[in-house]
Amino acid sequence: MSNVVVHRRSLLLASAAFSLAPMAARAASDLGKAAPPFVATDSNGKSWSLATLRGKVVVLETTNHECPYVGKHYRSGNMQAQQREAAAEGVVWLTVASSAPGKQGYVTAAQANEIVATHHAAPAAVLLDPESRIAHDYGATVTPHMYIVDASGVLVYKGGIDSIATADRDDIPRAKQYVRAALTELQAGKPITDASTRPYGCNLKYPGSA
Amino acid sequence: MSRFLAFLVSLLVALPVLTLPAAAQSVVTTDNVRAELLSEVSQVKPGEPFWVALRETMKPHWHTYWKNPGDAGQPTDITWKLPTGVTADPIVWPTPTKIDVGGVINYGFEGDVLLLVKITPPANLAGQTLALAADANWLVCSDVCIPEEGKFNLTLPVGTAVTPADSATRTLFDTARRQVPTDSPWPARFGVAKSGDPFLVVDAKGLKPETIRDVYFFPAEWGAVANMAKQTARVTAEGIRIPLKKGDAKAATPQQIAGTLQLLEKTGDGEHRQAFDITAPFDSKLVADASPITAADDTGEALSFWTALGFALLGGLILNLMPCVFPVLAMKAASFVRLSGQARGEIRRDGIAYTAGVLVSFALMAGAVLAIRASVGEVSWGFQFQSPVFSLLVAYLFFVVGLNLSGVFEVSGRLAGLGQGLAGRSGIAGSFFTGVLAVVVATPCTAPFMAAALGFALSQPAPQTIAVLLAMGLGLALPYLALTFTPALQRMMPRPGVWMDRLRQFLAFPMYASAVWMIWVLTQQTGADGVLYALGGMILIAFAIWLLRFATAASPALWLRRGIAAVAVLLAFGAAWKLEDQPAAASASSGPSAGVNFEGWERFSRARLDEAVASRKPVFVDFTAAWCITCLVNERVALETADTRRAFERTGTVKLKGDWTNRDPEITALLKELGRAGVPLYLYWPAGAERPTILPQILTEASMVATLTSSHQAQR
Repeated sequence: MSNVVVHRRSLLLASAAFSLAPMAARAASDLGKAAPPFVATDSNGKSWSLATLRGKVVVLETTNHECPYVGKHYRSGNMQAQQREAAAEGVVWLTVASSAPGKQGYVTAAQANEIVATHHAAPAAVLLDPESRIAHDYGATVTPHMYIVDASGVLVYKGGIDSIATADRDDIPRAKQYVRAALTELQAGKPITDASTRPYGCNLKYPGSA
Repeated sequence: MSRFLAFLVSLLVALPVLTLPAAAQSVVTTDNVRAELLSEVSQVKPGEPFWVALRETMKPHWHTYWKNPGDAGQPTDITWKLPTGVTADPIVWPTPTKIDVGGVINYGFEGDVLLLVKITPPANLAGQTLALAADANWLVCSDVCIPEEGKFNLTLPVGTAVTPADSATRTLFDTARRQVPTDSPWPARFGVAKSGDPFLVVDAKGLKPETIRDVYFFPAEWGAVANMAKQTARVTAEGIRIPLKKGDAKAATPQQIAGTLQLLEKTGDGEHRQAFDITAPFDSKLVADASPITAADDTGEALSFWTALGFALLGGLILNLMPCVFPVLAMKAASFVRLSGQARGEIRRDGIAYTAGVLVSFALMAGAVLAIRASVGEVSWGFQFQSPVFSLLVAYLFFVVGLNLSGVFEVSGRLAGLGQGLAGRSGIAGSFFTGVLAVVVATPCTAPFMAAALGFALSQPAPQTIAVLLAMGLGLALPYLALTFTPALQRMMPRPGVWMDRLRQFLAFPMYASAVWMIWVLTQQTGADGVLYALGGMILIAFAIWLLRFATAASPALWLRRGIAAVAVLLAFGAAWKLEDQPAAASASSGPSAGVNFEGWERFSRARLDEAVASRKPVFVDFTAAWCITCLVNERVALETADTRRAFERTGTVKLKGDWTNRDPEITALLKELGRAGVPLYLYWPAGAERPTILPQILTEASMVATLTSSHQAQR
């Protein structure tokens, strides 16, 4: 039967299709559940594992320094200010550079450090995630996409940095700073009011994406 | 004299416009977008609302965003600066397209888009001109995103009457309006499945599923529905059902889910995209159906998932009894018994590797099935069983499989040769590939079975497809695996012999029974004629197979037989063509249906039409059907609007409506006469004309008014 040939050809086709469509399986992380674990190297060569951060509150911030929405929060100083406040409270703020090589926002370790210096940024570390693994496991779709993991390793916040989805820095003072509010509530032992908000920004630059 | 005065007045009115630099500022060109503020009128009348639009023309591969931009992005925003008393409504958004950027789903516009805004000047509008100023922001993205902005100024003269803009501009607005979703003609509800995921139900009864594809629901805002999840909508005669994925909003079940439903409808002329705004309130009584629609659903008994798995496993086991598989199995088993204890450990590993090989092959097959389905489209395959053509083809498949099992013909065994070299191989890798190739090598016997199983798997959602095929693979591998672990089982195995052929021949009968059942399903769909075409087709197929059985060397006679066989098969499949024209089961009672609204229209009949045309009045005929979505949309946006009604009235046009829901024979005859395949069909006889003008299948209000009034004026 000639259709056997068709089958075998489609096998090739199928395997090609599967390797090209890793996004189909992208899992979104769930609030109230254990945050997806990760191990990553930062821009200074240090290794970070979510598991070893148990006992501390962790903030994840996906970034792409060329994205206008990321630019909005760095040029205005909003992101750096929140990073410093968080550090003062013992929160571990991890900026995650998840753009794939060749995509906008991809950085080498040296470039990442340079960007931190230029912006006077103050994250605990910039994690290099060129295979977009962390972004993928957390279901990040944009930069900046924000996540908060509590001291027991549970995901307690996901969404945008604030409430006004524009690239205009003049909107920052009028916006509700969701991450800051969530961290404050978390430190006070209160439930987080806005635990899941609309993330906004540029498309996260996954490998293989256009 | 009065003419000269009018000229002077208009000149005076026009003068300020000419001197203003406004026109130049209504266009803003950035690196990626040419944006222009357009007005549909060239002169405004106080108190009379009019439309303007921000037109965005993007560079290729760049897009701007819809009101819900999807998983990233930002919609265009317009801030108006208007004189006191003048108001601007929010943007009326056209239907967006789904833009997939590496798995991140964006809703937006590529190419050229008009964002419509209604402006209402007050009745006491002062001054000779109306100055509109707008600050617009938009985000334009390809693989990177750039926020852009523009300031627009448009100054329009104010007069005692509205003057329409030039026809090119009007056409732009007309086309743009056609892109805006209309209010849904059908009520919608949503329920929540056990998983917490919502599903949308649109109560559109009487649709023809085979004419609809590419159904997609664009949620109006972030939160309730995840944008990223793939949607597999199902269209049945009962309506449209779209399983959705729960969004990220923390809130409990929302009161309602709003958004835009888009679909492609195939009409006689081609495919038309239609879109409807839907607001679906929560309905706690709605129950999610776990099992997808299968053929069995039509007769009220659904094949449950676990039953399907059981059958698949059984099917795999039966494959072992096929004449080209069983002797090998028996031989292998016999050799295992003779081996010593140490060698048995190896045999076990061998068995596991073989099983892995078989399962991987089936998994790949499942992958292939899914890939094919994904490439064919997102619409669930369940609807295929609603189609008589599909029923016919499945009946043919069962019949041919039955003939094969009966031994009427054999599938070429050429592939079996591939397996020869395998026997000599050893080691785990060898066993693994033995498993892989067992699947391929056994094809001459298993292909018909596999075709049926793949056909079934194709109608299932992805996880079920994989599970069913893996269960079948496990069934195929199981006896060999059991033998490698317990060679003693070999004693319980029957000897290969003539019983294998008998069994195979016996299995033909369930296949024939299935074919009979499919023909019964077909008669439910098409009426008694279906039997004639299906059975006739089967005779032709059997005839073709009989002709091809004379496997002589190449000779003119062989080619002749092949030719005749090909013709017979073509004729059999030609029956499928005939079926499309058969009335549906519901049409037993021919006549007007409940779905078509005749208010303000006369019912079409040939006699009434001839009479109206003979009386030299203008005549407009609308052939529609309850299941025709494009017809419905045309009614809403073009035929039943205030302006069109006025035009009908003013011109004294005779309005006839024909209901083709149940394929009224009189209308069918007229369609054939005009060489049309179906509805919508709009015919217009200008007053006194003998031949009708056939209007396009997509109508707009402007085109209707123009059609009706232009010939009317020409008459005077």
